[in-house]
Amino acid sequence: MAITTAPTASTDRLTTIWETSPGLYGILASVDHKTIGKRYLVTAFVFFLLGGLEAAVMRWQLTRPDTHLLAPEVYNQLFTMHGVTMIFLFASPILSGFSNYLWPLMIGARDMAFPRVNALSYWTFLMSGIFLYSSVVIGQAPDGGWFAYVPMTEQAYSPGLNMDFYALGMIFLAISTTIGAINFVVTFFKLRAPGMSVNRVPIILWGTLSASIMIVFAAPALTASCILLYFDRRFGMHFFDAANGGHPLLWQHLFWMFGHPWVYIVVLPAIGLASDMIPTFARRPLAGYTFVALSTITTAILGFGVWVHHMFATGLPQLATTFFSAASMMITIPSGVAILAWIATLWYGRPVLKTPLLFMAGFIVLFVIGGLNGVMTAPVPFDWQLTDSYFIVAHIHYVLVGINVFPVFGAFYYWLPKMTGHMLSERLGRWVFALMFVGGNLAFFPMHIAGMLGMPRRIYTYQAGLGWDTVNLITTVGAYVFAVGVGLFLVDFFRSLRHGPLAGNNPWDGSTLEWSVSSPPPSYNFAVLPTVRSRYPLWEDRLGEAPRGGGAAVPVLDDGRETFGTSALDSDPEEVLRMPDDSLWPVLVSLALLILFYGLLLSLWWMAIVGVTGVMVLMVGWFWPSRIPTRETALSPREP
Amino acid sequence: MPDAHRLKRLPIPAIVRRTAAAAALLLPLAGCTDYYPNSTLTPHSEFGRAIDHLWRIELNLGTVVFIVVEALLLYTLIRFRERPGQPSPEPVHGNTTLEILWTGIPIIVLFFIAVPTIRTIFETQRKAPANALEVDVYGHQWWWEFQYPQYHVTTANELYLPLGRPVNFVLRSKDVLHSFWIPELGGKRDLITNHTNYLWFTPDSGMAPNAWNGECAEYCGTSHGVMHFRVFTVAPSDFEQWAAHQAHPSHPDSTTALATDTGGYRFPAAKLPEYVIPATPAPANLSFASGVAGDAARGRKLYSSSACIGCHMVRGNPMSVGIIGPDLTHIASRYTIGAGRYPNDTTHLRLWIKNARLMKPGVIMPTLGANQVDPITHSRVPAAAGLTDQQIADIVAYLQQLR
Repeated sequence: MAITTAPTASTDRLTTIWETSPGLYGILASVDHKTIGKRYLVTAFVFFLLGGLEAAVMRWQLTRPDTHLLAPEVYNQLFTMHGVTMIFLFASPILSGFSNYLWPLMIGARDMAFPRVNALSYWTFLMSGIFLYSSVVIGQAPDGGWFAYVPMTEQAYSPGLNMDFYALGMIFLAISTTIGAINFVVTFFKLRAPGMSVNRVPIILWGTLSASIMIVFAAPALTASCILLYFDRRFGMHFFDAANGGHPLLWQHLFWMFGHPWVYIVVLPAIGLASDMIPTFARRPLAGYTFVALSTITTAILGFGVWVHHMFATGLPQLATTFFSAASMMITIPSGVAILAWIATLWYGRPVLKTPLLFMAGFIVLFVIGGLNGVMTAPVPFDWQLTDSYFIVAHIHYVLVGINVFPVFGAFYYWLPKMTGHMLSERLGRWVFALMFVGGNLAFFPMHIAGMLGMPRRIYTYQAGLGWDTVNLITTVGAYVFAVGVGLFLVDFFRSLRHGPLAGNNPWDGSTLEWSVSSPPPSYNFAVLPTVRSRYPLWEDRLGEAPRGGGAAVPVLDDGRETFGTSALDSDPEEVLRMPDDSLWPVLVSLALLILFYGLLLSLWWMAIVGVTGVMVLMVGWFWPSRIPTRETALSPREP
Repeated sequence: MPDAHRLKRLPIPAIVRRTAAAAALLLPLAGCTDYYPNSTLTPHSEFGRAIDHLWRIELNLGTVVFIVVEALLLYTLIRFRERPGQPSPEPVHGNTTLEILWTGIPIIVLFFIAVPTIRTIFETQRKAPANALEVDVYGHQWWWEFQYPQYHVTTANELYLPLGRPVNFVLRSKDVLHSFWIPELGGKRDLITNHTNYLWFTPDSGMAPNAWNGECAEYCGTSHGVMHFRVFTVAPSDFEQWAAHQAHPSHPDSTTALATDTGGYRFPAAKLPEYVIPATPAPANLSFASGVAGDAARGRKLYSSSACIGCHMVRGNPMSVGIIGPDLTHIASRYTIGAGRYPNDTTHLRLWIKNARLMKPGVIMPTLGANQVDPITHSRVPAAAGLTDQQIADIVAYLQQLR
């Protein structure tokens, strides 16, 4: 790899070109992927804390039998918002945050393919989160479960605004995830540094790519079902209304065609994060890179063929349930492959037991449990006992906490030093891990037993004498231990900003390109865009794989915001891409969308029309051809 | 590679301890029905046992996989962890044979689960035998209606099933989705608007008559958490007696006949397991005047001319033909009210009638007591329009004659 240091004059020039403008304008107009990535991380983490708070209140109610601290109406809103928040506003956006921040640095580019779309994706996520949580402010939060089964969510049984917030909020959020996903797909295929062929990218790219392709296909199912629900509720249509020929199972099919792939959407990038952290701490390359990359893609494909396993008790024909039962078992195979690849990586390496690796070990343990209790639900007849019981609550938490939260916290300890320039505390980190691991298992393992003892999901209280008291008490204690771990992490984070030792470029001896630049990285990422010759550019010396050559003379690209466009598979340089400047259009478009959705929510049609018109006018402004002169180079310049 | 003397210091004991602890937690569950009345681990029907068989296979295979993988992980982390002065690890990228092997093994493991699964799917989804007892189940927000068309019986929230005879449940919903679940007798099946589902099994003929809990397992709104029912599995002759009496209308207009009716078969109170009668405390802000004695004759008149009859059916009382709420023809033969929410006794019946929406949030039954505040509409029932405590006591006295 050729990391050439550009002359100081050149870096000054690059800074002037790439730095976001100061002041309020810069805050609203920034298109820097690092800024957007950090915003995603902070916003999603705030939602994580809100979702955690909701869980804490619910656990308080369930600690003892016959507790009536919360009325059922409130409890039902809490568990719905807990699910919606954790699944939609935390699990997926937090990964978008990491991917946004890391992708360009890992692939040797200066930004994402569509920086303004990236900004729009963030602002829309924030606005839809605000939209959803404004329901809490007026006390009409969604209360039909995050799965919102009809007919209970129809106007007849849910006359308030609660489920309108849900239906519209989901459509709103899907705009953000969809455009974000398209941005990732294009970035993957067009912006990789010269020489970084598809078999050399870090696994997180495979993870986020697979997830993004899944989003593009899965999100429309959710959008469609939510539009139908909104039409049913607001205009008295009968898509799901059984009394007039609609069918409740239509909702379930549509929702789970989206909902099950979504589970993989929130775990595949996290699996990617893990696959990139483990080699660093094993001090050797990932064992079976190809197998892990393929398992990611296989999971993404199979993930679309298992949705009916959420509906085994709805009385579908035997042949259908048999097929989906088999498919649900099959999907564990790629996961098993990945788990064994990580263990083999550690086996053949020299595991360094730093905090991120502890989180990775915890992640593997929880992944195995979440996989095993998942396989247990795949055989249809046994699922008839398990479905809608606390066993499934245990399963979903092992999956989402194990395969999303643990890699994310490991990634915080690993990559936050790159973002802030300061190391987090190793000592506190071990405590955070221990509290979260012990607390998590203490909270979620007894849920299996509660389910086997017949405790249904989503009950706001339970009578004494059913043998559920002890398991629920343990669960609550575990949940609070887990919460203390999260709190300690926050302490560690704020402490590190002031007192954390400086990270330097490469505190972990990592192998990928983001570790070749300063922490935090300069606004232009790389003074000279790197040329890549292997999977582990910073380890080339010790792996002895790629002969170190002088490398071709690479232009510095400092005539405006520019980065290389390369070919889809082999990453041959094809063109110099002109990247856009800061812009207010994204935040304005998302504000117009917010107006549109409040108009739809309140049936204020004039307001909705203002919103739609606003979006259209702003889009025209956004796409108005700019007068920036294009640069003539050997590679033909083009607008991305 | 692992060498022998190192192996002795493996972290396996830790794992064994953990598994043993988990097993110790699970073991007592297997035997004690009294402590765990809703357990799925102690099936009492052929349907439940078929499911249980699958569970045992999965538990065994799962435990093996868990121990192997976690032991491998812990062993790796400890055995190969970085120590000072070690050479760098070999920079190998992988081992294709190994990778193919670890893809193949899970496939074989899954095969051992898949084959019995498919067999059980087809076994348990057969049509019910011709001699099966049919029970039509209707889910309501938040109570259960049970009809026995072969016996012309309609009842609510309490099921009687003869031991050893297959029972075929025909499952329908009157409003939103529900799910019918008796954990000790087998898996659940959803009640879907616009769609009929079936579920059948045979309560074991050899077991002693017993009572079981049933639950709604599909989230169905405000009081989903308290939508229970009770199941009494009884000797076939007792069942026939119970059904014959339940089919019979209550005595039309004769107060004396009502008072002397001793009722048909009812599951003996002395043999009731503890969990059948919930000890859930009534809302603290709901009270009833003490020392009020009800008069059944007055109660019958009042009942027959009040709002009650708009929703409730009492066969034999020509005024009471409502079909929105539970059939009350033999209400006094039941052990609980409010779908397993409270004991069916004088105190709770009175409180229920006075302010049902306080007793069970969200219910359709309006608040009836004079000066009570309806928790849904937040309006106070006017003194003139509401029922006084005396009137409620009279109605309860009447209801308690409907054995």
